[in-house]
Amino acid sequence: LAPGPLPNQDIDVKNLESLEKYHSYKRYFRQAQEAHNKPVWWHTYRKYVEKANPQVDIGFPLEQPNRTKQVKERKQVMKENKKNMELERAARLWEQTSGPHHIRRLAEHYGIYKDLFPNAFFLPIIPLKVHYGQNSSVHYGNILTPTEAETAPQISFEAEEGTLWTLLLTEHLLDGEAEYVHWMGNIPAGAVQSGDELCHYLPPFPPRGTGFHRYIFVLFKQNGPIDFRDNARPSPHSLEERTFKTVEWYKKHQEHMTPAGLAFFQSQWDASVTHTFHHTLMKEPVFEFIRPPVYHPPQVKFPHRQPLRYLDRYRDGQPHTYGIY
Amino acid sequence: MQQLIMRAVAVLYVVSIIAVNCRLNKNDYLVCMFIVFVLLSARCVSQAASKAEPAVEENEAVNPTFVNRNPRNLEQMSLAVKDRGWKTIWPHKEFYHRLVFSRTQHHVTAEVFSSSSLDPVLTCSTKEWALKRELPSTNCVAACQAVGEVLAQRCKQAGITRMVYRAIPWSYRSDAVQSFRKSMKDRGIILSEPRRKYIGT
Repeated sequence: LAPGPLPNQDIDVKNLESLEKYHSYKRYFRQAQEAHNKPVWWHTYRKYVEKANPQVDIGFPLEQPNRTKQVKERKQVMKENKKNMELERAARLWEQTSGPHHIRRLAEHYGIYKDLFPNAFFLPIIPLKVHYGQNSSVHYGNILTPTEAETAPQISFEAEEGTLWTLLLTEHLLDGEAEYVHWMGNIPAGAVQSGDELCHYLPPFPPRGTGFHRYIFVLFKQNGPIDFRDNARPSPHSLEERTFKTVEWYKKHQEHMTPAGLAFFQSQWDASVTHTFHHTLMKEPVFEFIRPPVYHPPQVKFPHRQPLRYLDRYRDGQPHTYGIY
Repeated sequence: MQQLIMRAVAVLYVVSIIAVNCRLNKNDYLVCMFIVFVLLSARCVSQAASKAEPAVEENEAVNPTFVNRNPRNLEQMSLAVKDRGWKTIWPHKEFYHRLVFSRTQHHVTAEVFSSSSLDPVLTCSTKEWALKRELPSTNCVAACQAVGEVLAQRCKQAGITRMVYRAIPWSYRSDAVQSFRKSMKDRGIILSEPRRKYIGT
């Protein structure tokens, strides 16, 4: 007796000719995908893997105009388009319409919300443009070299007159600790240079062998001027003073700030990283990848059809005699 | 510093006594003084270094094991595990990212999925107003090409440049799919994935 309906239970097996046919592969494929994604009552690997905790939106709500009006206007534009067959392509509307949702999806894929704010996310409605020189700019997951990111970037975002913003650049490293590399508070609308620089810009330094690190720019909108004096660090300071937790810092200033913009890039080790280490911090650490140990199922007293080296796999501390087998 | 001065005075005294007793001529005396000076200055340097060490040690407290929390890191270093073993069915699941291109009656959609997620990571379709506004018709070959170009730009901005694309075999030869594929490849997306690095590779 099953606790729910079995799949294909309602199909009459004796009378297969009377079933409705698909007549095309596409129709079958679409139905197969929907059936694959449907939640079921039996145990699956997907349920076994822990789902994310319930998420809370801490950003600004999206402003949506009246949908029927919008659809009418758009249909008119489409009609005019059809008459005019030669059109140039421009995708700048994307930033205002579906951009925030796409950036949010990518940020979830990169695990940014999980690391910066556990159990919370936000929609980055304000497009944040960060440029390192003329060629390289930061989007959402770009790969940049530390040589390109040596000097402080030029940041631009749309802002109304009289509003105050905070910009934060973090590199989330260890469990529960982020390391902030550059931070400015009380930025008046549009001019990033005239804000109080609470921390010097330190170029990114991913150590060799550790792979790709994410460097995240977060833009917060302030309700009024906030006093950041307890967080201000003097210009030459060691690594320890730079560590801080985004969650705790945000909880302190929660009521006066909302996150509104997001941009992040990835970078790997480069020759300029050695330079940064030796001149500002310490001797350069080099890491090597440790492979996870090879998995062997629990040992059985009478292993069926296994070679003699089966015993080698379970002898403690001894290296295997024949490779990984 | 005081100790240093005391030591310098003592050494000079000794040297002067030796000079007086051995009747060193002027050149030998200068050489002796030079050697003494060098020794003293070396001593100075070593003492200065020992004082500065505590500040350096604070910064050098490095954890010997480092865990990189970037979920995309292992994929990009081609060390992550690919879901092997689906060789008897189609499509296989041995990839880090896959590209799906579908044409319906009115629209054209292209999506990039990762191996672990049900929802797409990146999408580009003619249903978005940004694209719909610029295109005269949303299901023609030109639309497929436009979708390909826009998706390629978004993929490059997101850092995903290598993905697997297996088109449905009988639609692969059509102009639309070919133009989509061509536009993706021309913009720099590589439609094959790097081989995983096993032990010894």
